[in-house]
Amino acid sequence: MMQRLLPFLSLIVLFVGLAIASPHFLTDTNLSSVVRQTAVINIMSLGMTVIIIAGGIDLSVGAILAMGGLLGTMAMEKGMSIPAGLLIGILTGLFWGTVNGWLTVKLSINPFIVTLGTLGIARGLALIISNGLPVHRIPPAFSFLGEGNLLGVPFVLWLLVGCALLTHAILEHTRLGRYAFAIGSNAEAAVYAGIPVAFHTTCVYAFGGMLTGLAGMIEASRLMTGQPTAGNGYELQAIAAVVIGGGSLHGGEGSVIGTLIGAFIMGLLSNGSDLLGVSPYLQQAIIGAVIILAVTVDELRKRKLA
Amino acid sequence: MLELRGIQKRYGGVTALKDGNLSVCPGEVHLLMGENGAGKSTLMKIVAGMVARDGGQMLWQGREVFLRAPAEAARIGIAMVHQESLLAPHLSVAENIYLGREERLPFGWVARRRMLERAARLIREHHFPLQPEWRVGKLSPAGKQLVEICRAIQHGSSLLIFDEPTSSLSGAETEEVFRIVRALRDRGMGVIYITHRLEELRAVGDRVTVLRDGCSISTGPLAEFSTDRLIQDMVGRELVSIYQRESLPPGPELLRVEGLSRAGKLREVSFSLRAGEIVGMAGLIGAGRTELCRAIFGVDPVDAGRIFVEGREVRIRSPREAVAAGIALVTEDRQKTGLALRLPLAQNLTLTNLPSISRFGVLRRGAESRVAADYIARLRIRASSGKQLAGRLSGGNQQKAVIAKWLFRQARIFLFDEPTRGIDVGAKAEVFDVMHELARSGAALLMVSSELPELLQVADRILVMRQGRLTGELPGRTTQEAILRYAALEPENLS
Repeated sequence: MMQRLLPFLSLIVLFVGLAIASPHFLTDTNLSSVVRQTAVINIMSLGMTVIIIAGGIDLSVGAILAMGGLLGTMAMEKGMSIPAGLLIGILTGLFWGTVNGWLTVKLSINPFIVTLGTLGIARGLALIISNGLPVHRIPPAFSFLGEGNLLGVPFVLWLLVGCALLTHAILEHTRLGRYAFAIGSNAEAAVYAGIPVAFHTTCVYAFGGMLTGLAGMIEASRLMTGQPTAGNGYELQAIAAVVIGGGSLHGGEGSVIGTLIGAFIMGLLSNGSDLLGVSPYLQQAIIGAVIILAVTVDELRKRKLA
Repeated sequence: MLELRGIQKRYGGVTALKDGNLSVCPGEVHLLMGENGAGKSTLMKIVAGMVARDGGQMLWQGREVFLRAPAEAARIGIAMVHQESLLAPHLSVAENIYLGREERLPFGWVARRRMLERAARLIREHHFPLQPEWRVGKLSPAGKQLVEICRAIQHGSSLLIFDEPTSSLSGAETEEVFRIVRALRDRGMGVIYITHRLEELRAVGDRVTVLRDGCSISTGPLAEFSTDRLIQDMVGRELVSIYQRESLPPGPELLRVEGLSRAGKLREVSFSLRAGEIVGMAGLIGAGRTELCRAIFGVDPVDAGRIFVEGREVRIRSPREAVAAGIALVTEDRQKTGLALRLPLAQNLTLTNLPSISRFGVLRRGAESRVAADYIARLRIRASSGKQLAGRLSGGNQQKAVIAKWLFRQARIFLFDEPTRGIDVGAKAEVFDVMHELARSGAALLMVSSELPELLQVADRILVMRQGRLTGELPGRTTQEAILRYAALEPENLS
């Protein structure tokens, strides 16, 4: 039990440490900027958690995020309302997630390969559609999504909490979640149990894509541009958040709370390095080391149990 | 040559071995018996250098040794033939035999030609039906077992440990393994042979040691042990030695298969199962018994044939459709296809029928734990609670868990593929009890088994397959010889 709490304890230690080390850390501005910075990765990671639990992986989330943000902002540029644009962004994500799931199931190809492929396709299409140029003419009110406050805290925090509760409920209290665990833990046994494996695998990817589409709109709102190049490399951060939080790339393991902790650990590391004047190059190395460390500790815990 | 005295081993809070004693002489086959969890595997892992002992003495050729790695054991002449294949399926037979012990040339080159020649010589010497360049992944379980044996004997070991070598073999192949074991013994090697199968041990063993709860209970020449005494020592209590069941008057026909065919696997298989019946299915490995179950259950596509459930024709193209028709398959490999080992027992039990405990896709957790508690009690599954991980259950309890999940789905037609594989004596009787209970409640059961004595005890009638065909149907009270004739002989040779 002690070791299960380890990621949580590290988060707290990190938090307290930064509060002591830097006078700028515990300020409203800094804390809400941490929340805003991590929200995008956090929401993507929630979808990734479900996908990884089901024994899959999605390398295309960075490109899906760009595609979602791009199409959503383009719709607004063409005169559609903000909610309509938002919806288009989310549906774009849902579409690509469904494509990923469908291809994985129909071609029975390793999702690593399938999503590596759709990563290229989605990114390429985003660049073609936009001619490689960012979308700028967006209604100013759209910035509320990423930069606004509601009841004194960043609006994205509410979104994050909502998405986290939704994902947790799906994983722990619905058939889809239970099937995700079963498929990830033993896909063959799931087929033999008569579970509609193909349908639920597709659903899992679709859900991940949907959250990524939402994350894409938040990213677009924070930058107030629709960037065809947005989200480059985000897939690795999302996967890292899941595994730091105890998710297993073998499937069948992972949790919402773990992933949130994982994402916040990375967010704090990067924020803390900024505050303490650590070079951004070194930051990347530190985060890389933390990923290996976290997974090692988790493996040791599991081996002890076995 | 080998002497173990008072060996102890603890894993965390669990004591695996309290007092392990064993002595092996050159030129003998020493049987090591005991139920699952008795500590046989742990004791042998200590001998083979795979785990370190916590206490006790291990004497090898009169000197105390302490092995820290399998390589150290190999160096002094101790080798283990593993139960589950630890082979690399993509490599050839020769490459697997010498894996990790390749003859090296400068610059990391491997002496391939020399290796192939040495492998060929080894295989010829023992008359194994293998070729050095064959790919291991394409071999049958028996072939893989032979490669494991080659691996163990290639560097001149003087003590070989066999861990249930025949659990995935049948008939002629088992005989073949016995022949090899006896040949090795006659060359003066010491052999430790772990087994569950009471009926096979007389063919191969010289002396026997029985382990129970981590302690050596009894040891001596096999001739001094009756089968009943062995069971009693293993289980620790008197057991009704042979399981007997009474046939029930068969009810209406639940399953009828007509002309089921699949290229190269099944040829025109037709039979039927009635409510209350347990029908045995015998045959050698490769006769198509597993393939038949898979075809009926919709795992493999069929080329021709019709399936009727309760008189109505059903189309089964996937396990989903089979399950919907009320068919359950208890597979041969419950760890691979039966259970999600990393999930709790309760979640495994309800997996086949989640809609019945959910509303609009939302699970009712309370209903789930009630269902789990109910089945754990009904089938006497030994688990601390429904929250225990399925992977932590013993083989027998895992098997009961698989049966329970089909019960919860209200399946009426059960296909059991080798239901007692890897299960210890006590648990076998319990699994049979459950099967009998199923039959009494009106289910129809097909039981594929390579253990003929078990088929004879349990089945109401016995079907025999050979090379994809049904070659015979025998009454339940038949003999092993009769079954083997249908299983092994060309039909024209049957009189």
